[in-house]
Amino acid sequence: MKIDSGDTAWVLASAALVMLMTPALGFFYGGLVRRKNVLSTIMHSFFILCLISVQWVLWGYSLAFGPDKFHLIGGLEWIGLNNVGFTPNADYAPTIPHQAYMVFQMMFAVITPALISGAFAERQRFKAFVLFSLLWATFVYDPIAHWVWGAGGWLHNLGALDFAGGTVVHISSGVSALVAALVLGRRLGFGKEKVEPHDATMTVLGACLLWFGWFGFNAGSAVAAGSLATSAFVVTNTATAMAALTWMTVSWWHKRQPSVLGAAAGAVAGLVAITPASGYVNVMGSIVIGFGAGVVCYAAIQLRERIHVDDALDVWAVHGIGGTWGALATGLFATVAINSSAANGLFYGNPKQVLIQLAAIGAAWGWAAVGTFVILKVVNLFVPLRVQEEEELLGLDISQHGEPAYAL
Amino acid sequence: MDATTVIAIISCAIVLCGWLVLPHSAAKTVKPLVVSEERKPVSVSA
Repeated sequence: MKIDSGDTAWVLASAALVMLMTPALGFFYGGLVRRKNVLSTIMHSFFILCLISVQWVLWGYSLAFGPDKFHLIGGLEWIGLNNVGFTPNADYAPTIPHQAYMVFQMMFAVITPALISGAFAERQRFKAFVLFSLLWATFVYDPIAHWVWGAGGWLHNLGALDFAGGTVVHISSGVSALVAALVLGRRLGFGKEKVEPHDATMTVLGACLLWFGWFGFNAGSAVAAGSLATSAFVVTNTATAMAALTWMTVSWWHKRQPSVLGAAAGAVAGLVAITPASGYVNVMGSIVIGFGAGVVCYAAIQLRERIHVDDALDVWAVHGIGGTWGALATGLFATVAINSSAANGLFYGNPKQVLIQLAAIGAAWGWAAVGTFVILKVVNLFVPLRVQEEEELLGLDISQHGEPAYAL
Repeated sequence: MDATTVIAIISCAIVLCGWLVLPHSAAKTVKPLVVSEERKPVSVSA
């Protein structure tokens, strides 16, 4: 196999773009919390970038992409990047060094547990967060990544389509966020006092950086610099814009004002929804996916508020529901005219693809929910999940890290 | 024109036409910030 310099350059640049998404997520979330918790919220993302970078090279990549065991998990043959060198791997990316593919995938493994941190913002003990993130990456993310993307994974063999992580990244993190919010319970004063975002400009800037980095997430998932990457780039931008426009319209109709934070959240919902479909749908399909994301994710937030679940930064509504819609929509709008190695969806004559997508959605929901619940209960045996009441009132920046965010 | 294109056009029409009929009301819950005194210039010594 011959290494292609253009493909390698694109995948390495994409890995860097995806890396930027994790601190961007920290700023997106950081602006949404109260000023006494902004530093701890940003720290969740920054710390996970460090933690999972090491976990991934030690055992994470091997579990997710290593030689298949029973169609469920990768083996330990690639532990410590043993046998993962510079010769391309034909199963995953035949024109780039294997380590380039590994580091690109590392950034996906990094951002996924960071997404969950929005659910338990402003109340989780840092030590519990560290243990949870490490266990979750190992026992929830790595298996699901193997099922969907690993050579020999059972959902991969079934024909499930997930170009860049709608199921692997967004459903898994969104559903886990819901479970974490339920297990940890509501913040003090939730529903009684209004919790306002402390810096909306920080959130909008974070959303813009996420949008920028997402081009690496989706177009980079072509693992080649060519027409498929170009198509993924175009549909990613289109769906994102359409979702932001739609969310703004819905919130305008509902709240009588076009919300700036709503536009930012809508853009993220669109990015999430187009992720699984980005290598399979055309531009018209991406417009419908963006429109659907704006409507269903906004509705999911209203539902979450109505049932009084304190998923602090709406990870379930945006990532869980947005990812589910995107995975389902892939089964509706996928076309081999875009990606000849994939399959058509319902609107192009293949209704069976919808059933396959539903199977993948159900498996990801189930594994993420059960796995997260068990991990949280195990962690709670050793370290209390929540901070004490007075620590929560003081704020996590001071109580957990001993540093204020602002000296103003 | 395939079904996906038709749905996409309808989606765009809903969003874009919606703006023409949506009402707009000024917020009444947020108090405007009142600056009580002018900020004094900060002297910077070399």
